[in-house]
Amino acid sequence: MWQEKLRIKKNNSIHGLYPFTKMWITFLYCVCAMVLSTITINGYPVYMMVSFLIIPVLAAATGVLKKISGVMKSIAIISLFIVLLQGILIKSDLILYSLNVFNLFNINFYTDSLQYGLVLAFSVLNMGCMVAWFFGATDNKELINAFEKRGMGPKASYVLLSTLQMIGVLQKSAKTIMSAQQARGVETEGNVFVRSKAFIPSMIPLILGSITNTEERVLTLESKGFLVKGEKTRLFDVKPNGKEPIAMTITIVYVAAIIIWRVLLWVL
Amino acid sequence: MGVVIEFKNVTYTYPLTTEPAIRDLTLSIEEGKFYGIIGENGSGKTTFCNIIRGFAPSFYKGDLQGEVLINGMVITDYEEGQLALTIGYVFQNPFNQISGVKDTVFEEVAFGLENFGVPVDEIERRVIDIMELTDITHLAEKNPFELSGGQQQRAALASIIVLEPDILVIDEPTSQLDPEGTESVFKIIAAMKKAKKTIILVEHKVDLIAEYADEILVFENGHILKRGNTQDVLSDMSLLDYGVQLPQMARIGNELIKKGVKLEYIPVTTKQATKQLQQLLGKEDK
Repeated sequence: MWQEKLRIKKNNSIHGLYPFTKMWITFLYCVCAMVLSTITINGYPVYMMVSFLIIPVLAAATGVLKKISGVMKSIAIISLFIVLLQGILIKSDLILYSLNVFNLFNINFYTDSLQYGLVLAFSVLNMGCMVAWFFGATDNKELINAFEKRGMGPKASYVLLSTLQMIGVLQKSAKTIMSAQQARGVETEGNVFVRSKAFIPSMIPLILGSITNTEERVLTLESKGFLVKGEKTRLFDVKPNGKEPIAMTITIVYVAAIIIWRVLLWVL
Repeated sequence: MGVVIEFKNVTYTYPLTTEPAIRDLTLSIEEGKFYGIIGENGSGKTTFCNIIRGFAPSFYKGDLQGEVLINGMVITDYEEGQLALTIGYVFQNPFNQISGVKDTVFEEVAFGLENFGVPVDEIERRVIDIMELTDITHLAEKNPFELSGGQQQRAALASIIVLEPDILVIDEPTSQLDPEGTESVFKIIAAMKKAKKTIILVEHKVDLIAEYADEILVFENGHILKRGNTQDVLSDMSLLDYGVQLPQMARIGNELIKKGVKLEYIPVTTKQATKQLQQLLGKEDK
């Protein structure tokens, strides 16, 4: 009864795909993005840029668009910086646009650098957002369970899962420490300098606390027979939802089409 | 009653220290008894528990001399992890006893049974029973990290008791809990006593120890300063000189005797104190 209760219920077919299927989709999509980065129109990675639209559509279809939108925004900002820095700082022969600043100096955008910057930025955007989709659509527990079934050792799976699960707990602890430091008069809000000054007195208790807690946690695991050799029972068991062959077929067709296109462009 | 734990001239020194934390300790712990361990901070109480469970020296390293026997078998002869089924260990900090890999209290309690490969049906049955006993059934689907300190400690106790160990070593389980949390933890310990488990409890709240323990071991500087039945030990006012806390009832009783009030004996529990007061006032139980 409880085993059924503990199963993560997902009515959405894409969301409910087996973790390894989603992992393959992510990997193959990233391969496609790499291949598409080599197909350009007038030097611009237009196909790669268009293919990026697949990710928000896929995320919406999976029902995780809202969940990963924050991460996607952050990756988009990083990508924008890449384009700007690449376009401005790496000089080439052809100036695309020149911006005069208060009649003092010019900021030049170089065509070649901008094109290369776009390739870099959309590579980061495509891969980063696809990985974000994967983690948005896959519960940590499901992923580790799938790995365990493939023979991952309990120690490795524990380290991996506890690290992933602890991120939220540490964030909570960091907030508590921040509030405590605020109560002691440490300024934690304001500009970048004020925040960076508060960083050390906030982070040291968090890191030291985590280290000292580890000892007791290790002993707790031992108290619960974690080191006992032999077959372990798994209450939580992730299972395929049956739609995996369809998902893999669509993905493989997409990958094959792009690779064939790429090869044809080389040959013809 | 049979002996379940035996220390023979045990001396233990932590790494990088020269002074032993436990000095030439020889004692035996009897089956089914509730032992209260008291003493000042740094007197060796937790080290004693760690030696019983085998954490010292296997985890803490250091130097252990003498012999420790669990159920007649030398502790080092136990296979890795097997002691978990014989000795349950509950720690001080409830937060650190959460495995960190389970999303619900139910799974957290079941974690130990999963490690021992217990079949799913049996896990479910045992976890449901233990959650009822520890009054955490209503928390079964909650994330363990979202519980209060008292609830976390109850879940920690449940996750150890579910393994059905014969010996329970509990190290200051209420030090970080409020009175309500403390009471709920002691209720579980009382239930374990009723189930004839051997209990070794380190606790500074002597008033509570006085209510439940059969025997008291007073630690001082790595050795046992005094050992005996709860009444005898906790009414010994000379222990105050060693920084040992005594129950409030015992201290009041002692003050009354000093002021010339004739008491039959120094009470150590509320029940005993009430009985004596009733006798003094000439009022018996209705």
